[in-house]
Order: sequence, then C-alpha cells, then structure tokens
Amino acid sequence: MAVAQVKRIAISDSPIPWLAPLVALLVVFTIYPLFYNIWLSFHEYFPRKRAIQFVGMQNWQQLWEDTRFWSSLGVTFVYFAVALVFEIVLGMAIALLLDAELPGFGGLRAILSLTLVIPPAIAGMMFLLMEDAQFGVLTYILNSLGLLDKTTPILATSSTALAGVLVAEIWQWTPFMVLIFMAGLRSLPAEPYEAAMIDGASAFQMFRRLTLPMMSKVIAVAVLLRGIDLFRVFDYVFVMTSGGPGTATYTLSLYAWQQTFSFIKWGYGATLSLVSLAIIMVLANIFIRVFKVRW
Amino acid sequence: MATVEYNRIGKSFGAVNIMRDVSFRIEEHQFVVLLGPSGCGKTTLLRMTAGLETVSEGDLMIGGKRVNDVHPRDRDIAMVFQNYALYPTMKVYDNIAFSLEVAKVQTDEIKRRVEAAAEVLNLTPYLQRYPKELSGGQRQRVAMGRAMVREPSVFLFDEPLSNLDAKLRAHMRTEIRQLHNRLKTTTIYVTHDQIEAMTMADKIVVMRAGKIEQIGSPDEVYDTPASKYVADFIGSAAINFMPGTVVTGEGQPAVDTPNGRIRVLPGAAVKPGQKVICGIRPTDAVVSDDGPIRTRALLVERMGHDVQLCTAAPAGQFLAIVDRSRPFAEGVEVRFDAAPEKVHVFDAETEMRL
Repeated sequence: MAVAQVKRIAISDSPIPWLAPLVALLVVFTIYPLFYNIWLSFHEYFPRKRAIQFVGMQNWQQLWEDTRFWSSLGVTFVYFAVALVFEIVLGMAIALLLDAELPGFGGLRAILSLTLVIPPAIAGMMFLLMEDAQFGVLTYILNSLGLLDKTTPILATSSTALAGVLVAEIWQWTPFMVLIFMAGLRSLPAEPYEAAMIDGASAFQMFRRLTLPMMSKVIAVAVLLRGIDLFRVFDYVFVMTSGGPGTATYTLSLYAWQQTFSFIKWGYGATLSLVSLAIIMVLANIFIRVFKVRW
Repeated sequence: MATVEYNRIGKSFGAVNIMRDVSFRIEEHQFVVLLGPSGCGKTTLLRMTAGLETVSEGDLMIGGKRVNDVHPRDRDIAMVFQNYALYPTMKVYDNIAFSLEVAKVQTDEIKRRVEAAAEVLNLTPYLQRYPKELSGGQRQRVAMGRAMVREPSVFLFDEPLSNLDAKLRAHMRTEIRQLHNRLKTTTIYVTHDQIEAMTMADKIVVMRAGKIEQIGSPDEVYDTPASKYVADFIGSAAINFMPGTVVTGEGQPAVDTPNGRIRVLPGAAVKPGQKVICGIRPTDAVVSDDGPIRTRALLVERMGHDVQLCTAAPAGQFLAIVDRSRPFAEGVEVRFDAAPEKVHVFDAETEMRL
C-alpha cells in the first residue's frame, strides 16, 4: 500500500511533492532564522537574568546613535568599493590577456584557479605573515622599493591597514573574476570582431563598443556575486587585524559578530546583521534594475 | 573601384596546404562569383582578400597595390558575412554607422550616408531596432548597408544568401545584382549555389580542392565546361554522363557507349579507341523515335511548362527535360538523341574537356 501511495504522489501533477524538501530546508535554515533575527532585534538578552526580554525600539535607537556602527559601515563601503573595482578591472585585464591562445596559457589558466582552493582565513594568515613588520616578504619588498617607510607596520598603521587586508582579498578573488570573464569572452561570437576589423576599429574601440556591451550580462552577474560577498567581509579582517588598529578595519560583519558573541548582546547583534542584509538587498536590487540583469 | 589580382596565391594551415597557384584577375566594376562545393577554398580566398587570413604564397593586388601585409581596414574593401556578423548590442543605425564613426566622419555626414543606404535597402523604419528584432532578410540588408556606406572599392560577399528561404533568396539575388548595376563596385561573391552564380555573375570562377577549375562567363561555363566536374556542378538538373570509346563512323567521330552510338562534333580532339566520357544535359536530350539512347521511363514529373523524365538507360539513370506536347507514361520506352554540338566529351582519365 505504501508503494502505491508513493507512486500516486510521484505521478501526480501537483508540484508540492517536488518542492516540499527544498521548502523545508529553506524554512528551517533561512526563513525561520530570518524571522527569529527580526524578532530578536526587538529584544535583548540579559546574562544576569539569563533571559531574553522585550526592549522595543531600543536596539534600533542605539544603532542610530552608535558612532561605532557608522564607522564600521563606512569601512565596509570602502572595502566593498575598492575591492570590487580592483577585482573587476584586474579580472577583465587578465581575462583579456589569457584569452589569447599562446603556448603555456592553458597552464596559467589552471594555476589561476588555485587561489580559490585556499580557505579565506588561511589566505588571511598568509598575508598576515607576508605583511609582518619584521620578517614579512611584502613588507621587505615595499621597503626595498622605497614605497613604504621602514617604521610603518602595514597592518598596525591606521592609514595602511585596510589596504593591507584588501591586498589579500583582491589576490584571492581576482582569479574568480578572471574565470567568469574568460568564460564570457569564450562565448562571444568571432564574426562581429572580423566585421569590426574590416570596419577599421582599433583594439580599444572593439573592446569598448563590442566586448563590453556583449559582456554586460556576465559582468553584472560577477559584480552581483562578488558584491554580496564583499559586503559581508569577515574572515580577512578577523584573522589579519581583528578590526584594528582602532577601528580602521572594523567592518559591519565584524561588529555584529563582536556584539553577538563577545558582548553577548544578541538583540543588538541581530539588529546590526539585519541592517547589513537590508543594505545588500537594496544595493543588489538597484543594480539589477539599472543593469537590467536577467537570470 | 579597383581591380583585384591574384598572382600564384597559395594557402597553408600549418603543414596542410589547401590552396596552390591560384591566379586570375578581376576587372573594375566586374561582378565575379567564386563557385564551388564546401571545402574548395572559395571562402578562404575571399577571407584572404579581406585580410582576415594571411596569404601564404603569392601576391594579392587590390587596385594595383600589393596588399598581402595590409591591415583589413586599409584595403578599402567591405565584406558581407554569411551569418551577417552584425554588432548585436548596437541598433541598426549604429551598425551601419560604425565604420564611419571609427573613421571620424562628421556626424551629419554619417547621418546622411546611413539614411541614404537605409533608403536604398528599405531599412528606414528599422534604424532604431536591434539586430535580434529583425528578420533574416532584414539583417542581411543591414549587413549590406554596413558595407555600402563605406563606399569601398571592392565588395566581398561570403555566401550572403545561404541563411534565407528560397523565395527571399531569389528576391535578394536580384536586389544585390541591381545594387551592383547602380554602384558598379567591383564585387567578389562566394557561393556554392550554381543558380546564384549563373544569375548574378559577369564572370564565374569555379573552384575545386583549392584550385581553379574554370574561369568564364556564365554562358561559357555552361556551354563549354572545362571538365567533367564543372559540367556536373553547373546546371540545375544534373547532366547525364556515360562512358564510352571513340569510333569513326560515317566520316564523323562518334562514341560507343552502353547507351548506344552517340555522334560528337568533328572538331573534338578525339582519337579512335580513346576512352572518354560523354555528357548530355537533360535539356539537350531530344525525344527521337530512332534516337540511339534507348530508355525506359521510370518517373514522369510534370513541372508545368516542361516534363522531367527520369529514365533507366543501359549506362544508368538518364534524365531529360522535354516539352509537354507528347504524352509520357511510366514504364514505356522512350528514345533520345542529342545534337553533336550539345554532347560534351571528356577524357576518361583526366576528365578534362576534349
């Protein structure tokens, strides 16, 4: 009888049996936590009482007046924008270069994807060592080139710490952009380029008038994927600077994490991550509309 | 307008040689069709002319100047591609205007030229559309507009009509030819469709496996094909071939074939005993009650004005196109003859015309 029932479900036209497992997963791991988070942002945990109590708008009010929040938001935006611009521009440049069929480039393309195998926290550790003031190889090179003062430790100086973290970020994620862009470049038709060649277009004109517009969808998807990831940056700053010196590399995710897990302010931590989510959603939506991204 | 001259042109891809010793000359204003099956090298020759492929050997001259190493943009040519190669992200107007914008022509001059081209090609209502919003025929015309506005001295067409349906193809054929009559630009047109070649060309260059098989006017290649291959390729109903041996009968050379004794012109350079192949076009076969070619009608296809008879002859299938005045029935015997001057004789060995 059980077999007959399974069979009946399997052959029915109803989409419910097919959707149910996914919906269940979504509910348990995404929708419930989201609503719990919203609920939590109107409450606070009081360790002494060992209880969660309703506090109304207190968390949201605190957020408004919290200079630490605003500065972390600023750092996050700078991090997001700088990394995104570098990753797109470098990614596109390298992709265009590697797209040429030259001997050895196949191997280069394979090597490129290796950075993506390294866990970001480990990559952060690597750069932490490389940027060490005493024995870091990057510090040594910059010192030798005269680009960095010997008395300036990269990650312990407010003006250079964020750049120090960004180097790790860009090093690890530019190859991701390269791979996406290269896949896009490979799928472009050859004939318009031949026509443009006869029409007299220069390489730059072909790039600007043909490649960029034809690649716009690919670029948009890459920007969206990377942008969302960048906005919630945590791993690199956590292992490399823990947000310091001062608040120079203190990002929103790091702040939310600290409030939640170090200061046991669950309600405020929830509020901070909700703000982060809201900003990502708004930005992504604006982007999708402006660039007419279709999935 | 310019002449185009191919001087012992050869082409190799790596160690593979696909073209050797191609030489011919295209006069100003001429409409020349490169004809041949796929893989014969006609498109490669056109792409070499455009500068999209390098010339491995020989000299390529446009307007009397050697252009082997000249960039495509400096050859003063325009090309229409088989799949149109329109710029997908540009509107029709920009597609046509692109070459002029790149050449930094003044905006109002660009506008004037684009609109003039659009007018000629009936594209005016579509200037603000994207290529994907156009039909095949319209895209084809955009590609032509793009070539026209440059006012090049040579037009290159690479099988431009092969993606269109039969009716549109016939229509575009006349349009392209009329356009040529008006602009008089030297044109090189690549196709594998012998009807396109016959209807459009001033001169047909028949190619085979990277070599030129015959150069001549449409009438010349039809009436005096240089080889069995050309005879087979040209003509919409395939020519009938029959092997045979030359004999001298009644003071006039003839060929003994399984289909009977076929008279050939005295002028043909044939020797008695020579092994040859005779070719008779379906339209040149004449129904004659005492004709030498005895066949049995297999299929009678009425085509309106004519009747196409598919018959079984001793040498294999024999095709004839005859007028419909006589009734034909499947299964009955039909005998054919052909005027000696209409019988093409080829050497059995070399397959060249005798």
